[in-house]
Amino acid sequence: MRPLTSGERKLLENRLKRQYGVEKAFRGLTLIMAGQRRIRACTRETYELSKKLKKVQQLGVYVAKLRDEEVILSIEGSQILGDEIKSNIIELDEHEAVEWMKASPIKIKEKPKSRYVVAKHGKIYLGSGIVSRDGKIYPQIAKWRRIPEY
Amino acid sequence: MSDDLKNYLDMIPDLDLELLLEAYERPLPEAFRVNTLKLPEEETLQRLRDKGIKFRPVPWARHGYQAEEDIDLGTTLEHMLGLIYLQGPVSMAPVEALDPKPGEIILDMCAAPGSKTTQIAQLMSGEGVVVANDISYERVKALSSNIQKFGILNIVITVMDGRRFPRYIKEYFDRVLIDAPCSSLGIISKDWGVAKSWSYNVVERLSKLQLQLLKAGFETLKPGGTLIYSTCTLTVEENEMIVNKLLEERDDAAIKPITLPGLKHRPGVTEWRNMKFDPSLRYTMRIMPYDNWAEGFYIARIVKEA
Repeated sequence: MRPLTSGERKLLENRLKRQYGVEKAFRGLTLIMAGQRRIRACTRETYELSKKLKKVQQLGVYVAKLRDEEVILSIEGSQILGDEIKSNIIELDEHEAVEWMKASPIKIKEKPKSRYVVAKHGKIYLGSGIVSRDGKIYPQIAKWRRIPEY
Repeated sequence: MSDDLKNYLDMIPDLDLELLLEAYERPLPEAFRVNTLKLPEEETLQRLRDKGIKFRPVPWARHGYQAEEDIDLGTTLEHMLGLIYLQGPVSMAPVEALDPKPGEIILDMCAAPGSKTTQIAQLMSGEGVVVANDISYERVKALSSNIQKFGILNIVITVMDGRRFPRYIKEYFDRVLIDAPCSSLGIISKDWGVAKSWSYNVVERLSKLQLQLLKAGFETLKPGGTLIYSTCTLTVEENEMIVNKLLEERDDAAIKPITLPGLKHRPGVTEWRNMKFDPSLRYTMRIMPYDNWAEGFYIARIVKEA
């Protein structure tokens, strides 16, 4: 666990700008590389205090994962960015949002141009999804986070 | 329930065994807290109303609500998105007694699975830092998941035996919560196994650990700071006796009254078997499961005098 270098932060910002139109990503927050190219965010004060503690396991929340040339936003990552996300947003109704949270593929009328999108339901952002060739969107929801199927 | 346990409970002053057994038979109420770190409270409540869910406020807990009918909130979109957190209504009381403020540095020493940690973070409105500690890597997984779902940015998770905390950091925290591992007699309706496996030996073993945790937590507290010691059990050995031992050992520890509107409770026990405790223990809170037809708890508010 270590803070992102300025180069890594710039790389993340560039990808977020290209993929989602975000101008200044995670402004005022400390970003931490937490293994497997996963990025966590916390306040500066939290990071500074953590240096005084022993047996630190984790800081703040998981916000994004770098994958190939792209970046996948977690649910909380997309919620922190909120309306700074300007492009590649798909709007979901209640039924679709539930399906999204089950990680079921979502079929929408118009296939997005980008390979990655962010879902939004009302005012709430739901993280990234990957657009497949058949036009379906595959939500990137961690298994533990999914609404269980009965 | 074993005869040993019945006999023990029957000895506790101001405890109505018949009512207690009735409370144990009832399911605990479904209650939740609205996560104001993600959406304004009213917007989340409106989402629930639109789904036909009826609820009423928990009078003693900010952002706390109790469902008015039997409903599984655990599979709702609101729960999975972290807009609400399922938590028993009385379980919200210790953090209200702690009364966290934005900008403070707060230690939750036995934090997993994170109900009270998320409540502390919510009341700090993202300002200051919460240190959430637990001894078990396994339990920290649940803590970590709940913190993620709640979206807390000002938090550090540590994994260690809470008793070791003062080795590394002393007189540092503005507030400390010790929601200690206990024999869980306040939540038997959730798990009858607790009543079946109860033994006085377990209580004795737990009380040693609880005292060590309390003493360690008190050492990490700043002068002038506030510590809450709470358990979800009813035995005197795990509650008043532990706090009394701290008062005996530390001149700078003082019990302060707790005000939580609408929460039915009774004063802490000051005499037990042949022992007399510090009279200020009457200011601690003993909450029976039948007081609010919910969980049973014990809460003590201790201040480190400057």
